[in-house]
Amino acid sequence: MLSNFGVIFSSIALITSFILIYFSFLELKISDSKIPKKIYNFSLAQLIFSLLSFLILLIGYVFSDFSMINVYENSHTTKPLFYKISGTWGNHEGSLLLWTNILVIFSFLFLILTKNKNKNFKILTLIFQNFLIATFFIFLLTNSNPFSPIFPIPNEGMGLNPILQDPALAVHPPLLYVGFVGSSIYFSAALAALISKVEAKSLATTIKPWVSVSWFFQTLGILVGSIWAYYELGWGGYWFWDPVENSSLMPWFLMTALLHSVLVLERRIGLYSWVIILSILTFTMTVIGTFLVRSGILNSVHTFANDPSRGLFILTFLTLMVFSSVFIFFKYAPSEKKTYRIFSKEFFILINNWFMVFFLAVVLIGTLYPVFLDTLVGEKISVGPPYYNFILAPFLIPLLFLMTSGPRHKWVVSELKKIFNVILFLSIFLFLIIFFIIQENNFLIGLILLFSIYLVVQTIFDFYENFKNKSVNFSRIISHLGFGLLIFFISINHIFSTENNFNIRTGEEKDTKDYIIKFEKLTTMSTTNYKSIVGNFKIINKKKLNTKNLKPEIRFYNQPQTITYEASIRSNFFSDTYLTMSNISDTDVFNIKFEKKPFMNFIWFSVLLISFGGLLNFFSRKKQI
Amino acid sequence: MKKIFFLLIIIFMSTKLFANEDVNNKILKNLRCLVCQGQTISESNSDFAQIIREVVNDKIQEGLTEKEIYKFLSEKYGDWILFNPPFKKNNYLLWLLPYLLFIFGGIIIYLMIKKGLIGKK
Repeated sequence: MLSNFGVIFSSIALITSFILIYFSFLELKISDSKIPKKIYNFSLAQLIFSLLSFLILLIGYVFSDFSMINVYENSHTTKPLFYKISGTWGNHEGSLLLWTNILVIFSFLFLILTKNKNKNFKILTLIFQNFLIATFFIFLLTNSNPFSPIFPIPNEGMGLNPILQDPALAVHPPLLYVGFVGSSIYFSAALAALISKVEAKSLATTIKPWVSVSWFFQTLGILVGSIWAYYELGWGGYWFWDPVENSSLMPWFLMTALLHSVLVLERRIGLYSWVIILSILTFTMTVIGTFLVRSGILNSVHTFANDPSRGLFILTFLTLMVFSSVFIFFKYAPSEKKTYRIFSKEFFILINNWFMVFFLAVVLIGTLYPVFLDTLVGEKISVGPPYYNFILAPFLIPLLFLMTSGPRHKWVVSELKKIFNVILFLSIFLFLIIFFIIQENNFLIGLILLFSIYLVVQTIFDFYENFKNKSVNFSRIISHLGFGLLIFFISINHIFSTENNFNIRTGEEKDTKDYIIKFEKLTTMSTTNYKSIVGNFKIINKKKLNTKNLKPEIRFYNQPQTITYEASIRSNFFSDTYLTMSNISDTDVFNIKFEKKPFMNFIWFSVLLISFGGLLNFFSRKKQI
Repeated sequence: MKKIFFLLIIIFMSTKLFANEDVNNKILKNLRCLVCQGQTISESNSDFAQIIREVVNDKIQEGLTEKEIYKFLSEKYGDWILFNPPFKKNNYLLWLLPYLLFIFGGIIIYLMIKKGLIGKK
């Protein structure tokens, strides 16, 4: 029943996108300044049917309707309601439906919210959006149908992968998808702007709010993903340079570059073609990301299910998309002869773009190189954190410095600011105090600390100065401050994290440098969807003489049968205590990993600050209009 | 200019110096757990990881250096086990391409501001 409705609704949504493309094409030839009612109506109809098809799947999950394969494979009656709902997008088909729905919502919002007067520009953007929508609906219906029926109807479902049964991972995909799919708008708008010869400022003001919004959600999505990885995977880290994590980071670099260069475009200084290239690249990168994750050509924790035919479809789509974009670009791109003065604000934005594209290139090379090497030579290599740290870390120093200095320069005018000022000396002084306390003798980390302090101090000072002049650019102040703090706390965290790995039996205790870890007893626990062994640990701090109780678990989920290792994390203001245990097969010995991780909360908070700047950027736009 | 150049060299060299970190933990963090999905030996709870941990521990006791341990393991399991890909023939591009691209980007920016530079002087 539900299955049929789902297919019908999404088919109607697919048909409406064809109708929209047809009417829009007709409309291009009519020199009327208004977009006709029927285009609005069909868009609304498309939105409604698309949302209905999502609602159908949601109902299927909430009421555990196992007549749909997708629900049967990914849900279970005993699952809490919250995870029944989040299970809707916890699998390939459902997440694709969510992706397509967000695409439809964004297109509709673009149509009704954009105040751009150029009709053909809007219509063309809508056409490109609908080509994307149609492609994704076709992909959904032919290859990855979430509504496929199953007969005979099973009594019980197979359950959701337990590591996905988590509040952070319930919101992670929607956040990231809003970021990903948001970039489709400026992809379409960029192509449309080329064809309809939209003027620089007009293009910039149209895409700027979409860039801010997608950047904001992308940043949040990455944050939630790392928080999840930190406490749910139980590996003791928050960023692993895993190919799938990289896929979310790569578009982020491009969005950040775009967020900055749009400012140059807005002031008619230049970068018209470059903004268009960036817009096209950003969406291309999100599709490449989807391809990498869904095709399963990457070895990663996150590739839960994969299938080569999906990869083939996305790859074909990607090739078509890239070729047509390149064709449109070279056919219509205007030639640009602008001068950029050294030490002007736009010069620093160019440098920002240089770094962002470089970071993207490093991550892209690191992610894809092993795949190519394996295919071409048949040699398997791994590219992990040591590679990225080695290449990227030194570049953080000039980046931090440019983030400090760049925003203080004026547009168009070339003016070399004095570097040796009070702020720098204040920062060096602060740095020396910190350096004296931490006694870190790694030169690189020392420099990174120094320049992150400089960025933070200078940004706070800029805020004070701007506040006096009553012209505060809150979004840049907050984002840059957040970035400075992030790098500072990551470095401090890197220096002070301690880790102890040892084997222990119940009743024994382990004496480390600062702590005594007592393994008091084992208890068992059981709830509806899993049974677990709980280790009761007492951590005694030798210096402060306080004790903490930690209870890591080994869970045995019944649906589907999976073992997960739950870290026990005691989060204090300044430091996290982190403990995981695993049993060594056929013995009564447990392997324990005990970690102290300082400033974890500060790291999360810094990323929140960064993303918040993006949100402010979005709202400050509205005020100006 | 010379000073800056010298400073840059120090910065890039210093990435190599990871002082004071527990060598054992550091080695385990740079090894892939071959039976897991994308986990390091240090992170993994698998039996394979337990064995490798023992092996690394033994080798350190035997007095092998970090490099010798990597070499021993990669001879046994292939380069797949090393998260830090070795700098050798097939990987030259992996290690050098980022720097080449960075220089390439720098040249483009130089060309973009070149006209402005002449105008100023």
